[in-house]
Amino acid sequence: MNSAAVFDFTCPVKTNSGNKALEHLPVELAGLNAVNPLIVANARAVGPKAVRTLMNAFGDSKMTLGLFEGVTEAADLGVVDHLKNICLEKKYDAFIALGGGKAADVAKVLNLAVSLKTPDARQLSPKTPVRKRLLPLVVVPTAGADGLETSGFAHLNRMIFSSEFLAPGLAVLDSRLARARKGILMAATGLAALGRAVESHVSADRNPFQKAYSFAAVRFVRENLPAAVADPGNKKAALAVLNAAAMSGCAFSNAASGRLHKLGQVFYELLGIPQGVIMGMCLSRVLEDGFREGSCDPAALLQPLAGDDAFARTPAGKRAEAALALLNRFLEELRGALGKDLPKSLSEAGVSGYRKEEILDVLGKDEDGHYLRGVVEGMAGGKRERKG
Amino acid sequence: MLLPDYYEFCCRVKIVAGHDALEKIPDLLIERGAKKPLVITDKGVAGAGLIDIVSRALGDRVQADLIADDVPPDSDLRVVNRLARLYRDNACDAIIAVGGGSVMDTAKGINIVVSENAEDLMAFSGVGALKRPLKPLVAVPTTAGTGSEVTQVAVIKDHEKHLKMAFGSYFLLPDISILDSRMTLTMPPFITAMTGMDAMSHAVEAYYCLQKNPLSDAHALSAVGMIYRHLPLVVKNPDDREGRLAMAVAACLAGIAFSNSMVGLVHNLGHATGSVCGVPHGLCMAILLPYGLEYNLHKMADVMAELLLPMAGEQVYLATPAEQRAQKVVSLIRGLNEDLHAITGGRHARCLQEIKDREGKPSVPRDVLPQIAAAALLDGASIYNPEDTDYEDNLMVLEAAWEGKPLDRSRVKKG
Repeated sequence: MNSAAVFDFTCPVKTNSGNKALEHLPVELAGLNAVNPLIVANARAVGPKAVRTLMNAFGDSKMTLGLFEGVTEAADLGVVDHLKNICLEKKYDAFIALGGGKAADVAKVLNLAVSLKTPDARQLSPKTPVRKRLLPLVVVPTAGADGLETSGFAHLNRMIFSSEFLAPGLAVLDSRLARARKGILMAATGLAALGRAVESHVSADRNPFQKAYSFAAVRFVRENLPAAVADPGNKKAALAVLNAAAMSGCAFSNAASGRLHKLGQVFYELLGIPQGVIMGMCLSRVLEDGFREGSCDPAALLQPLAGDDAFARTPAGKRAEAALALLNRFLEELRGALGKDLPKSLSEAGVSGYRKEEILDVLGKDEDGHYLRGVVEGMAGGKRERKG
Repeated sequence: MLLPDYYEFCCRVKIVAGHDALEKIPDLLIERGAKKPLVITDKGVAGAGLIDIVSRALGDRVQADLIADDVPPDSDLRVVNRLARLYRDNACDAIIAVGGGSVMDTAKGINIVVSENAEDLMAFSGVGALKRPLKPLVAVPTTAGTGSEVTQVAVIKDHEKHLKMAFGSYFLLPDISILDSRMTLTMPPFITAMTGMDAMSHAVEAYYCLQKNPLSDAHALSAVGMIYRHLPLVVKNPDDREGRLAMAVAACLAGIAFSNSMVGLVHNLGHATGSVCGVPHGLCMAILLPYGLEYNLHKMADVMAELLLPMAGEQVYLATPAEQRAQKVVSLIRGLNEDLHAITGGRHARCLQEIKDREGKPSVPRDVLPQIAAAALLDGASIYNPEDTDYEDNLMVLEAAWEGKPLDRSRVKKG
């Protein structure tokens, strides 16, 4: 514990996880004084069955449900403004984001616009002050979640909205929605969770509360992702990966935005490549570089990655290397299981030189731009570029 | 790490920790639109000079000169109503509670009255009666043990009607908990020892009782390691600021763990012993904890064994064969109690017969054990204990704990 300075930690998210977790939603919402929730979803991403499962969970609860299933990857503040007007007219008093990615981003910013009764939501920006609790927001991540659902961040119009009040009050992780159609979807979810949890767990200013979330997330990915990828029908393993994603978002909300996150986010925002795919490509390099620079402590990863016995048997001075080696092996095995479905380089991911330049331009504006651009160059052909 | 078929986990409290954490309160209140908090505490806390430290830290950016320092050791509806009137008459807009369990309970009761404009607190008792956020509540614990700075329950007594009202709601969670080493720096060694063991019992029971889940597990593991390492050190050296802060953080982690996974036999018998004999809760927890582990060992040995690494470190862990690790955890807890007994010059009792009142008389005479065993049947904590318990089981554990002898595990009825 770094006790030199005052630290703080917040996780406003309650977690309900397991069989028929969705069926608890009416009671949860009633407990928050909400009776008229609006479901916000990208129906194309989550599929009609997920929408039906969610709506059926309300059974005879007598709640009035609104449904907007037209969120797309291109959703922006214009969509938020349109929805805000509908919400104010129909008096929706809570929001349920079904699925990850843009559906969660739109729901968070929509909640901000409706709670603040913003006249024109297109004028919202990260500078808009958020000083009070917003209306109840529930996220229901599905396979393909990226972990950011449970965070206090929302990405819209290439802006990052950030506040602990933006985080949902409840995350419902239901076994029925955890399974993916393909192993790669599960891998993307698990690797995004791993990337953010690892980055939080090795950071120099981590605190014990944040570590509880990142420890559990890393261990769950390590123990369950291979099974979930090998058999996308494995409900228990898929739910564990979804749990890891939710935990990683809570840890990430309390950590400084790291390199892995930035790289994953820029590719997702500009090219729609799942963040986990990018994080999987550069996880080892970013950690090894951080270790060499002394900015991160991979030794902390050995216990959640290797388990208690292997951790205890490894001398303290060798734990960082052991953790990095284990992580590399884990990623290699995942690549082995998924074959071409999990690209190892930008060229395998179909990123053209032109699009790569676009990414490099955006990263160049970051304070850590020089380094991040170097990582992207190294990912181009799948070959590692070693420094020094 | 096991994923239960279903679990819920919630701790929405913003935790602020450090040697100067109190100084953050004005900003945190202003962020929440509050600038005139009512400070509530008890005479003991105020007498120890802790309110002076809080007042200095608050400075003049918020108006925090209204201080009620007469919260009784046992929460009281009349006090709740009186302080709620004080809050309203002075147009306060937040509450800062500085103290232990009773102060926290009282603060939560006041908050219900002033936020809901309640005339009758009883209307909000039970679970789930509150439907919306209350006024900002800042909890400043002054012991490192109870975890009440992160729990969502409150108990208020109506002494006129002889009623005990219990409240449970996520809206009762404090908005902010401040863990500041200065708040526990002057706590006497024997109180430090028993409150620290209270926290240890929260973490250990949370780890092996039935409602455990991955997040309560992660909090509990971290707490167990920190408490085992730091508790004897701070009892020996009360001025150890780093140790004090670590214990405050660990007690908070343990509080989060147990309020999300519940507790078992140790708390079950501890509550009953406390109510029948009026002995301090933390002392009961310290004494009963090894027995709770022994009683449940045949069902949860693998789980209990996982506590050895955070407690004793790699060398002891590797030197202990896997099948003996749970038993080793039990002996380490017993050893910790022995150490605390030695460091406090015998004030930290190791068994029930060693607990003495102010006059030096035994607080738990052997002949009250049947009464305690019976009272424990009425306490809900037994529901979450891995092995079933009945009157005879309770009595068997209490007798062993009274004598200070390890439990004869061959007598435990295996369900």
